[in-house]
Amino acid sequence: MADLRHIPAFLALALGLAIAGLFHLRLGASPLSWAEVWGAVTAWQPENPAHNIVIEMRLPRLLSALTVGAALGLAGALMQGLTGNPLAEPGLLGINSGAAFFVVTGLLLVPGSTLSMLPWLAIAGAICAALCVVLNAGRAVGSARLILAGVMTGALFSALTIGILILDQQGIETLRRWLTGSLAFESAGMRQMVTPFILLAAVIAVANIPALNLFRLGDQAAGLMGLNVARFRLTLLLAIVLLAGASVATAGPIGFVGLVAPHLARLIFGTDYRLLLPAATLIGAGLLVLGDILARLAVRPLELNTGIVTAIIGAPVFIFLVVRRVK
Amino acid sequence: MSAAARPLLLPLAGAALAGLTLLAIFAGRYPLGLSDLAAVAMGGSEDPMLRTVLFEFRLPRILLAMSCGMAMALSGAVLQTLTRNPLAAPGLIGVEAGASITVLAAMVLWPGALAVGLYPLAGFTGAIAVAGTIAGLAWRQGVSPLRLLLVGVGVTALLSAFSDLLITYGRIERVESALLWLSGRLHRAAWDQVQSQIIWLILAGLPILLLWRHFDLFQLGDSLAASRGLNPARFQIAALFLCTMLTASAVANVGMMSFIGLLAPHLARQLAGAIIVLAADTIGRSAFAPVQIRQGWSWRSSVRPIC
Repeated sequence: MADLRHIPAFLALALGLAIAGLFHLRLGASPLSWAEVWGAVTAWQPENPAHNIVIEMRLPRLLSALTVGAALGLAGALMQGLTGNPLAEPGLLGINSGAAFFVVTGLLLVPGSTLSMLPWLAIAGAICAALCVVLNAGRAVGSARLILAGVMTGALFSALTIGILILDQQGIETLRRWLTGSLAFESAGMRQMVTPFILLAAVIAVANIPALNLFRLGDQAAGLMGLNVARFRLTLLLAIVLLAGASVATAGPIGFVGLVAPHLARLIFGTDYRLLLPAATLIGAGLLVLGDILARLAVRPLELNTGIVTAIIGAPVFIFLVVRRVK
Repeated sequence: MSAAARPLLLPLAGAALAGLTLLAIFAGRYPLGLSDLAAVAMGGSEDPMLRTVLFEFRLPRILLAMSCGMAMALSGAVLQTLTRNPLAAPGLIGVEAGASITVLAAMVLWPGALAVGLYPLAGFTGAIAVAGTIAGLAWRQGVSPLRLLLVGVGVTALLSAFSDLLITYGRIERVESALLWLSGRLHRAAWDQVQSQIIWLILAGLPILLLWRHFDLFQLGDSLAASRGLNPARFQIAALFLCTMLTASAVANVGMMSFIGLLAPHLARQLAGAIIVLAADTIGRSAFAPVQIRQGWSWRSSVRPIC
């Protein structure tokens, strides 16, 4: 790490994440006591119903929230670095919608499709949407056209998804909640399936940290400093679609975590990607855990979709950023 | 597109529109032919079924589709000029989101609070309110195009989250009727809708057509336009207001129609030059409309055979 000054901040972040995780285990449709949570985590007795709630229902969900949140936070940070646009995010840029469209199409229309194909479908969709955005965004770095191309791509894929769902009424019933982003499904198997993709993307991200820092100077300056810009863009794009595809496969399209997490990270740690990437990952995980707690508490014993909660919290942040930062 | 070809293209687009209109009249579950049409036109046919299908079903629907199409296309062209951005669409300034959240809230949360006939008005009010909010948030000595679009994206995302909330947790039968109401009512087109849409089209569309000189000036950039006597801020407000009225009336009358406002101006620009873009694209967009009618038909026959 570049600087010992930042160790306390990272420790505080990790501590906050742990506390949020414990609250996630304790709060929910049936509130448990701290003793029950602690007992379940340290000494699990299968015959204790409270322990079973914690271990078999809430813990997998917590792990999913952590995984998806971390993936989204990291993807957001990478996208903002790659595009030079502070508003870039997998949800806003339509990557999530593309992945969701491919998943819905694959599951409903292709006979013999199984759940194990889901991550591949999601990643293929993410690649397709990313290509749409990149081809439409033009060459100017940091332009609003990128965001608009993304929003239109997202709208297009959402419209296509709805078109498919109209053809298949049963699909609406099973996928309606997944499509607005939900962690409520039994997703432990999916989480294990997507973990390799996320780890691969994380390795790519870490390997590209010096390049990301260099790229802040602009693509021409970075090229002059010896950075292979084309290869850098391509590998980073690969990491982003892996992360977005993995998160959509696990929890459906969840927006705005990838926008808010890097900005919070930048507020605390500045713009050095050596600090920014791990911080955005941790904050993304924390945000989604908090969002999921809210989603389960707001209309207890029912629950909201996590994607709706993140949008209601994240969209005002986006508007604030625009009003403050865009001329 | 060469300049010489331009004068030809407007009539061509008009011919295409006429052809599609005929197609839209003939196509459908109850088949109509040229001879039927001629018979009705000559006043020779007394077949009541024929007259009902033509005057009560097909014609209002085609006219409504056309007038709404013109409204959406005009407002798309205005917005793309105002923001100087080829990817802007009426949906981005929150008109559709505002209309849909108002109608959803009215139908799901407080059913019966509003008479059914007032829903278009409620949608219209919501649309204007949201568009006004977005323009207000984006205001900084004039409407900055970039801020306008991005604030629009944010507010639309926020409102659609609330819509999702209502859709997912509202009473299912209320949600379904609200969604049906929103997802387009072309198939239930009636003459009073046609009338209201055409009035709005004239009320808000005519000023836009008359302002074509200002639009051309505005495209030159703020400072140049100001030096030629155009007040960019005042012009932007007026144009935004007209554009919102057009979109809101279309949404209130037939429901959501994304993408058309985005696509039509581009087609028009391929066809025609900057000066006649407004006129040409009015036709260009309405050429789309009968296709939509067909989509509506197939949707209706495949999904809801009862209605």
